Amino acid sequence: MMQATTFERAPMIAITALRVLVGWHFLYEGLAKLTAPSWTAAGYLKQAKGPLAESFRWLATRPDMLATADLMTMWGLTIVGACLILGLFTRLASLAGIGFILLFYLAAPPLIGYFYAIPSEGSYLIVNKNLVEAAALVVILLTGSGRFAGLDRIVHGLISRRPRLAAA
Amino acid sequence: MADEDDKRNSRVPAVSGAPPKLGRRDLLMGLSTVPALGLFGYAWNRQQQYRRGREAAAAATPAAAAGLQEINVALLGAGAQGQVLMEAMLRIPGLRFRAVCDIWTEYNLRRVVNTLKRFKQEPNGYADYREMLDKEKELDAVIVATPDFWHARHATDALKAGKHVYCEKEMSNTLEGARSMVLAQRETGKLLQIGHQRRSNPRYIHCYQKLLGEAKLLGRIVTVNGQWNRAVAPDLGAPDRYAIPEATLKQYGFKDMHQFRNWRWYKGLGGGPIVDLGSHQIDIYNWFLGAPPSGVMASGGLLYYDPKTHEWHDTVMVMYDYDTPVGPAKAYYQTQTTNGSQGYYESFMGDQGTLLISESELNYAGQLYRDPNAPAWDEWIQKGYVSAPKEQEAKEQTGSGAIADVRESVAPDQHTVPVSLRDPYHQPHLQNFFDTIRGKATLNCPAEIGYESAVSVLKVNEAIEAKSRLSFKPEDFKV
Repeated sequence: MMQATTFERAPMIAITALRVLVGWHFLYEGLAKLTAPSWTAAGYLKQAKGPLAESFRWLATRPDMLATADLMTMWGLTIVGACLILGLFTRLASLAGIGFILLFYLAAPPLIGYFYAIPSEGSYLIVNKNLVEAAALVVILLTGSGRFAGLDRIVHGLISRRPRLAAA
Repeated sequence: MADEDDKRNSRVPAVSGAPPKLGRRDLLMGLSTVPALGLFGYAWNRQQQYRRGREAAAAATPAAAAGLQEINVALLGAGAQGQVLMEAMLRIPGLRFRAVCDIWTEYNLRRVVNTLKRFKQEPNGYADYREMLDKEKELDAVIVATPDFWHARHATDALKAGKHVYCEKEMSNTLEGARSMVLAQRETGKLLQIGHQRRSNPRYIHCYQKLLGEAKLLGRIVTVNGQWNRAVAPDLGAPDRYAIPEATLKQYGFKDMHQFRNWRWYKGLGGGPIVDLGSHQIDIYNWFLGAPPSGVMASGGLLYYDPKTHEWHDTVMVMYDYDTPVGPAKAYYQTQTTNGSQGYYESFMGDQGTLLISESELNYAGQLYRDPNAPAWDEWIQKGYVSAPKEQEAKEQTGSGAIADVRESVAPDQHTVPVSLRDPYHQPHLQNFFDTIRGKATLNCPAEIGYESAVSVLKVNEAIEAKSRLSFKPEDFKV
């Protein structure tokens, strides 16, 4: 028999703030690409290093697949960002966000002995900000912050009023 | 046990026997982060306003604000270069894209039309440029960025249809083609700008007008040296499902999709790297030296690529003779296909100093060297024509341990060109074209100048075949 939800208030506020910040970053990354005249991931992919480098570079040479990957990246980042800010479908958005970031991470992992021509703004060894942001999304995914503060709370409230869920 | 259950389920909103109501608190909490999206929207809006303001300010001729005469443009050729021009044009106020034409309808055309729609432009897409010229009555100007061997037909037909034309360089792959363009321009009285975009680059204009013209910082230019070293690259491909039908390719002069994508390497279609790259820089030689060349020797060959798919020389080394208004000069140029080290630049050496300039300011800041024996440049530094000299580091600090031999001349002062271009490379040249349409400027690279460059550059491929020095007569450069 389930009891009323008890969220630890302070940690949940902190995690919600984290969710909004990560969402903001995603949303801007997406919109900035969407509004650039002809943004493409080709340059980034061509420089790929690490275990999947070959696949990323191959993708960059296929105009049709590249166009699809570009569209998915631009819209994916935008939608994930908006959902995270709003706390809507938070888990799905977190999962998608983790997927995107891991791809970015794998395309340019800061592993020992790798040197990148494009200077990064910090210094990284294996862990970079991509990985930290992915970890933040894992926290958001597991704590269900959308149901604490976010549209998920309303959506879930509406759905759970249905009898079949009430019987659970 | 109940406690444990509580903990395990604490993330899930409770559902007890009776369905819970969606309370006021749930609504408030549910909507609590919506304002963050509003805040984002506000920040985004401010940022876009700031960006647009900066772009408008950067692009603005003083009169560019209100009451700007709108110019209806069409882009003919929506490939890589067409897209570069489109991006630059999107930053220029007062343009209305009416049409885009490309025979690769499923890829280039669709991509460019979609991009333009995102920028609130509503261009019609065409595969056939004649249909476009027939139907788009309101067009003022056509931007031609098709393969070189189409330039003459596209430019002359557009001029004869009463449109002003901006045509990418090389003006044409043949002299007859280039000549027909000059004649069509004269006959129609419409504007024809050739895309040697360095001619409108404020850095190059500053060098030409102020440094070489007014201040004569280099003294008499005797030798010129320039290069564009480019890395080897795989051939351009195309996905099968976007392939252009064979009949269409044939109709437009291409053997197959590979040739369509890699036309620059084929004889009869393009001219190879000496024309694609060298043409930009050899045009600057002519401009800065004040005369076209009087002779040319060249060596070239296909040293790297497969001759089946690459007909033109991937490596070319050229030597020009010039009879400039102030005396003879020699100029060397090379383009090679190995790697991109040392990039591209033009270097002019005079008896008082050297100017090393590149379109790529990131790689070459525009170095100016004053020979220690030359008159001081203080006046020009005070006027802001050149930067103050960089202090030379003491020899000991270089760490190389190298010692200057007593017979070596003292290292000259190092200055730089203090003018920067903060816009895409092609923007000022396009701006110059549109300003001229509005009657507020004159063309920086009209047909006659484009023709001079074409004569200078196309002769290189002839000289390679001839394996001997070829001479130019002054009338070779006139139409």
